Amino acid sequence: MGKGVGKSSGIVLVLALCLGLLPGAATSAERPIVIGAPLATAFLYGWDAERGIRLAVEEINAAGGVNVGGKKRPFAVEVIDTRDLEPGVPVSEALLAVEKLILEKKADFIVGGPVRSEAALAAMDLLGKYKKVSILTTGVLTPAYHKKVEGNYDKYKYCFRITSHVGVMANEFITYLGEVKKGHGFNKVYIMVQDVEHARKGGEFMKKMLSEKGWEVADMKVYPTGTTDFSVGLRDVAQKKADVLFLWMDMPESSILLKQWSTMKLKSLPVGFVNAAEQPGFWKATGGKGEYLIVNLVNGGNAPAKITPWTMQFVKAYQKRWGLEPEGYGTSSSYMAVYTLKEAIEKAGTIESGAVVTALEGVNLMGVYGKIGFDRKSHQVIPSLDPAQGAVTSIVQWQKGKRVQVFPPKTAEGKTLLPPWMK
Amino acid sequence: MEILLFGIINSVTLSLTALGFTLVYSISRLPNFAHGALYVTCGYIVWLCVNTLGWNYAVGIAVGIAATAILGALMYRFVLLRIRGMEISEIIATYALGLAVIEALRWGGLRGSTFTLPSFLAGSVEIGGFAVGNQRLFVLGFGVFVFAALGLFVKFTKTGLALKAIAQDERAAMMLGIDSDRIALFSFALGSGLSAFAAVLILPLGNIVVETGYNVLIYSIAVSIIGGLGSWGGAIVASFLIGFAQILTEVFLSTQYQMVISLLAIIVTLLLKPSGIFGKQKELADRV
Repeated sequence: MGKGVGKSSGIVLVLALCLGLLPGAATSAERPIVIGAPLATAFLYGWDAERGIRLAVEEINAAGGVNVGGKKRPFAVEVIDTRDLEPGVPVSEALLAVEKLILEKKADFIVGGPVRSEAALAAMDLLGKYKKVSILTTGVLTPAYHKKVEGNYDKYKYCFRITSHVGVMANEFITYLGEVKKGHGFNKVYIMVQDVEHARKGGEFMKKMLSEKGWEVADMKVYPTGTTDFSVGLRDVAQKKADVLFLWMDMPESSILLKQWSTMKLKSLPVGFVNAAEQPGFWKATGGKGEYLIVNLVNGGNAPAKITPWTMQFVKAYQKRWGLEPEGYGTSSSYMAVYTLKEAIEKAGTIESGAVVTALEGVNLMGVYGKIGFDRKSHQVIPSLDPAQGAVTSIVQWQKGKRVQVFPPKTAEGKTLLPPWMK
Repeated sequence: MEILLFGIINSVTLSLTALGFTLVYSISRLPNFAHGALYVTCGYIVWLCVNTLGWNYAVGIAVGIAATAILGALMYRFVLLRIRGMEISEIIATYALGLAVIEALRWGGLRGSTFTLPSFLAGSVEIGGFAVGNQRLFVLGFGVFVFAALGLFVKFTKTGLALKAIAQDERAAMMLGIDSDRIALFSFALGSGLSAFAAVLILPLGNIVVETGYNVLIYSIAVSIIGGLGSWGGAIVASFLIGFAQILTEVFLSTQYQMVISLLAIIVTLLLKPSGIFGKQKELADRV
């Protein structure tokens, strides 16, 4: 009898442990803080953001987790593919993904996307409705995002953006081109952009600003997404003797443009926002024909550079975890968003949205791409050309298979080079 | 000179991409909406052979074209044969197959813009003061060769004549002992092979991305509708119309209207000649 009771008790004990019914089992691990990441995972700006988020979460968890009011809690990540960068996929798909993360996956915070501007702008209402703090880290270059926060703070105060936008990027380009103008005596620019909202706006802004800065803008061409031949346009660039070929495109076919530029040995230095040229694999993909292209990676740390002590530490950790250098826009900002969130939660001592919003507004963290802090009214990360003052960009030039940081001057690791046929 | 040169190159490239679609429709009356997906599939297979398996480029190309042709034949044998003659079902089935293939490629790792195939010919030559990439000239030359070879195949071989017979009158051809299903299967394999052939010629100019599949399909449909569904000659004429219209748009109007011009051409053609330039479908007046 006694033996039988002992055996039964043992079985009950094992079952109870398995089901987590005993007090010890329930408190041995604190409930994770769930980060919901709505991302277009089939595209660079989605998958590199996911990798950045996962790397930061793994590092933080390995170091013991997040200190929430004296209790250490780990982060957990839930990713849903928003597909918002795919042609023809409606904005509602991305909104469903965000709502699913909040309601079904019980996300405590949203980090990452949606990636497309229209989708992110539409998602702001959902974030306000559910009072979910969100840190936007990739895609979405429209200034409308932070202006919307500023315009209706009470409704949209949960929305933060830790990355740059068209307005800042265009000013960085203007400053950089000013240096190139001074250094090489350039004066004429030809603009080619893709027929999408952010590129058209960026192109128009550049056209206006460059004219004001004394540049002669030879022409501006708008190419439909999917264009596979740029011969006629490039021929026009040559005829008009432009010194700089300014590009703003996120379609993969822009690498064809660069191949044609190299084949034609065009005497115009290519500069711009070119999605296809961000990744480390671009060099091999173009057989080196993208050499001398100058490309804006939006945030520092998306290519190796010594911006802050943390930058190369991040680059090495990324390489070790994912087998390649940080890939482009969205990588370092997604990584930093998780650390910034950790900082804010620890400061607030709770994961309650209102307290975290207040803590995020007061964040002052020296990160991978400079000092991270948000504008209190618009919740836009504060940009700067000096990493000690704010978040810095990374304008790199492809030189001998490497992305060499050439701007801003305080973080530059090399000078802008001209192709041999331009000398 | 600029318009003539780039217009011809653009037109031949369009003809090449649309030829497989037109051939399949002309023989089997099946609109292959998976045409663009097969185009991208071939590019990815060749890329995998060369970069992952480390095979010789020529071997990779042969494997890519053969595998795509077999995939097309399998699609016909196991899916389309059962629904042949049911037009709406054919469209839905081929479109669904195309989507499935594209999603499978994405799931299989075809993401980003770093997948490229090496050019057959590097460098450029100057023609009339314009630098033209050698690979584009290669596409031009080989495109003309493919049209000629296909013309000779149809005219002088038994299988080619059977293809022609089915295209002209399927019932009469069957009465003469031609196996309609076998020829349709062959046409599907040949059409898929032609899309694969176009892919290995054109993709080295840029990169292999799944979205290309949609563009190839849109242009193939545009070319086929304007030329007259099922008309090979019509497809070539339509390619030249669209090809030159695009270049003229770029030179005299604006590059951003290139796609609009193609789609506008479809609408105008359908309004003026509903069966296309060389289409054999009855005009509205004859149908009512």
